[in-house]
Amino acid sequence: MAQRKLKILILDDEPIVCKRLKPSLEKQGFEVDAFTRSFEAMQAVKDTKYDIIITDLKMEGMDGMRFLQEAKKLHPDSEVIVITGFATMETAKESFKKGVFDFIAKPFNLSEISRVVMRAEAKIRGVQG
Amino acid sequence: MPEFFRHLWQKWFKPKEELVSFAEVFEHFQALLQDHQRIMELIADLGEKSGGDYIFDRKYLIDMVNDLHALLLRLVKSLNLISGNRYVELYAALDRILLPLEAELRGRLSLPEAMPYVIGFQDAPLDLPELVGGKAEALMEIHRRLKVPVPGGFIVTTRAYRRFIEYNHLDDRIHTLLDPWISGEVEAVQTSRQIQYALLAGVMPPELSREIRREAQIRPFWAVRSSAVGEDSELSFAGLHETFLQVPSLGVPEAVKKVWASLYSPEALNYRRRVGLLAEEAAMAVLCQEVVASRASGVMHSLDLEAPETDCLIIYACRGLGRTVMEGKADLDRFVVERHPPFRLRIQNIAVKKNYRRVAPGGGEEEVAAPPEEWARPALEPQEIQALARWSVILERYFKRPQETEWAVDDAGRIWILQSRRLASPTTIKAPDICETCSSYPILIKDLGAVAHAGVGAGPVFVVTSDQDLERFPDGAVLVTRYTAPWLAPAVPKAAAIVAEQGSPAGHLATIAREFRVPTLVGVENAVALLPQGQEITVDTYNRSIYLGRVSELLRFELIQSAAFEDAPEFRLLRRILKRIAPLNLTDPQDASFTPEGCRSVHDVIRFVHEKAVEELMDLPRFLKRFREARLWTLASDVPIGLKIWDLGGGISPEARGSKVSIEEVRSLPLKSLWEGITQPGVWSTEPVPVDFKGLMASLTRTLGEGLQAPAYAGINLAVVTETYLNLHLKLGYHYNLIDVRMEADPNRNHIYFRFVGGVTDLTRRSRRARLLADILSRFHFKVDIKGDLVLARVLHLPREEMHRRLLAMGQLIGLTRQLDMQLKSDEDVAQFFETFVKRLEPAAGSTSSP
Repeated sequence: MAQRKLKILILDDEPIVCKRLKPSLEKQGFEVDAFTRSFEAMQAVKDTKYDIIITDLKMEGMDGMRFLQEAKKLHPDSEVIVITGFATMETAKESFKKGVFDFIAKPFNLSEISRVVMRAEAKIRGVQG
Repeated sequence: MPEFFRHLWQKWFKPKEELVSFAEVFEHFQALLQDHQRIMELIADLGEKSGGDYIFDRKYLIDMVNDLHALLLRLVKSLNLISGNRYVELYAALDRILLPLEAELRGRLSLPEAMPYVIGFQDAPLDLPELVGGKAEALMEIHRRLKVPVPGGFIVTTRAYRRFIEYNHLDDRIHTLLDPWISGEVEAVQTSRQIQYALLAGVMPPELSREIRREAQIRPFWAVRSSAVGEDSELSFAGLHETFLQVPSLGVPEAVKKVWASLYSPEALNYRRRVGLLAEEAAMAVLCQEVVASRASGVMHSLDLEAPETDCLIIYACRGLGRTVMEGKADLDRFVVERHPPFRLRIQNIAVKKNYRRVAPGGGEEEVAAPPEEWARPALEPQEIQALARWSVILERYFKRPQETEWAVDDAGRIWILQSRRLASPTTIKAPDICETCSSYPILIKDLGAVAHAGVGAGPVFVVTSDQDLERFPDGAVLVTRYTAPWLAPAVPKAAAIVAEQGSPAGHLATIAREFRVPTLVGVENAVALLPQGQEITVDTYNRSIYLGRVSELLRFELIQSAAFEDAPEFRLLRRILKRIAPLNLTDPQDASFTPEGCRSVHDVIRFVHEKAVEELMDLPRFLKRFREARLWTLASDVPIGLKIWDLGGGISPEARGSKVSIEEVRSLPLKSLWEGITQPGVWSTEPVPVDFKGLMASLTRTLGEGLQAPAYAGINLAVVTETYLNLHLKLGYHYNLIDVRMEADPNRNHIYFRFVGGVTDLTRRSRRARLLADILSRFHFKVDIKGDLVLARVLHLPREEMHRRLLAMGQLIGLTRQLDMQLKSDEDVAQFFETFVKRLEPAAGSTSSP
């Protein structure tokens, strides 16, 4: 029997990131919802449990960290992948040592992120069984 | 004697020049080289990002440009420190290049004020859909990049539209009229009527109407088409805005106004609301095309959307002049054709065509009755169907999405492409679970190489190893090659995909592949052996996989995705800023435009700075003063060049003593390689050597020795070196040779610049010699430019062993050039010398050049 498709949420205020990442991950067999506004993403995590959350941290007019904390509170076993500008990488790592699966510096290429997502998937599938 | 006077003059009358101390110059020079390198890396990085493998945002572009700016300022400052402020004009050059670039980064619709109201189709700038609109942009791209035949004409730009709005004070009026509709108080139809009335009642500003009339008077009739900003993007549909055919030249300004007004048709208003564009300022350019007096015309769909799995395209055709897409397809011939060569016709439905339209004798068009025997004849000949099918596939390959293309065939049988846009699918096709489908195809190569341009392409493998292969390269094949040499360029637009064993995403071939949007993997080890000639394969850069066979499911999946990354605003923006950054226009330091004023790109600036910094170091009178501080070595060798070596660090063994060094004590890699070439047996030797090349060289040397009193060397022969760098100035006999080499472990840092000029004989012979040098250097995949007797060649980004091979050859070339101009008496000699030389070099060239 085919495995259950994993659900991924993407949040980035730059539409280009969502636009490119979504089809690429869908092609790899994931179910993907992408958002450019944090309140919409927040609404989505309240309704749905996502296996993997990919989010930017530093977005104009919104707080990626808040979103992360809230999402983790709702679903502690969601794996979180943080994408962030190269300059803010160190701060991001510092403040998110706990509870973040991995960090990726922008700009990143598609194989880079798909490797991390695949590792997260292996971890999730391993845990489940 | 004159030397003496000059000396006196300088001593007594010129103010004493502030000569920066050697230690300082050295320091600045090193810093300059580093900054130069860093800028080259940033340029390469930006180029690589434009290939689609990376996800980046506008912020990244802004950061990169800021970094570039800071580095450039430092670079220019270093040069000015070295030269005593002789290049302050470079600051103005930086402003000229960077200010518009930074302005462009600030806002999508901020068009430079200098942009014209009306511009010829041939002259309009590419990648600026904000100026010319989506339709015109698409046509310009395919016309210039793919050489698709497109009728000529002119574009009334969005700037003209804005001028019109401003001149008639329509901005506020439009907003006021839009508000009640946005808030739902009135219907779109009413709002539309009011705004359109206001636009049509507007007066053309005189300067604008003058410019339009000036262009329009060239032809009696025009096709006037809308080209809205964003029109051809994802959700638009054919006929959203107006198109007028057969507009007499005097009527063009009025037709332009009508096209503008169609921006506010009820359909257009609803469309913009649906896709969330209402908040953005609407803008419309208008494309005025020459009318093709067509024998047949119609529309084609590059993919049969009703049955995509059949892998066919459809051509709809009628006799005579075309109609707009909106007029329906009831009485049109329908040809269903396979999407791959040889484009076999699968089905044809021939309509009974009792009438057709043609150009009326007095202008305009008229509908006439066709003779009964023609009613049931197909509107297209078989070869025309094939030719159209071929264009359809080429257009789809470039735009990456199914295309709806309007075409015409004129009386002479020539095909014209009138417009091409994304084919809107009536229903969204459900994407199959592509992940599983792909896994059923055998994989030939997986996870090898780097992505130079992202995408999926399929076709038969065609391995190119020589120029002859290149000429036979078939349309739609997958180009497989060992090297990413510039001479491959002509095959790129025809390729469905490219796989190269070597090269980097920053290389030349990658740049060309991106220009033509060809999916490209470079650095794929063993590709030539793994991919059999003629075998159909599918290249998927997203998974870095190459499948055996044609993975139609994957190809279709890619086609029906929402939008091609190449059309995203960020990518267009990057392409535009790259145009101000990456091109190198200043190649020839002897050219009159090799000045700060002549710099047109960032690359030009750093090329200029690099050249002048080296020149500054090489400037002999200054240099001789600096000699006193610099430690110069003399190379002890049998070859009588009397080479002086200035070691900037790591170029000479620390154990070396005295003032002479042997080649064994030289640590500089490029100098060692070059010298190995120069000292090959027979290259410099004056001993008679019996066989072929050796004999040839020896006899040349003898002839020269007997005939002319050539000095062993004239002037100073100087090598400035580090462990990985060589800047060599040679004045041998009567010509002057400059070689600049960087040879690091990272191929991306490497280059060889070669410059050769002069000679004792007449210009004809010198030019002959230049041609021979160019032929030989091209053989080694150098990019070569010749101007009279000046030869400029360069090769970039090669790994060390390849650099070594080329330097070896170059060493031998130096020996050859020393006497060559004496010997090339006729043009036939060039070919003969070329053969002899290449034959001799072939073992050294080995696998590097051609088979």
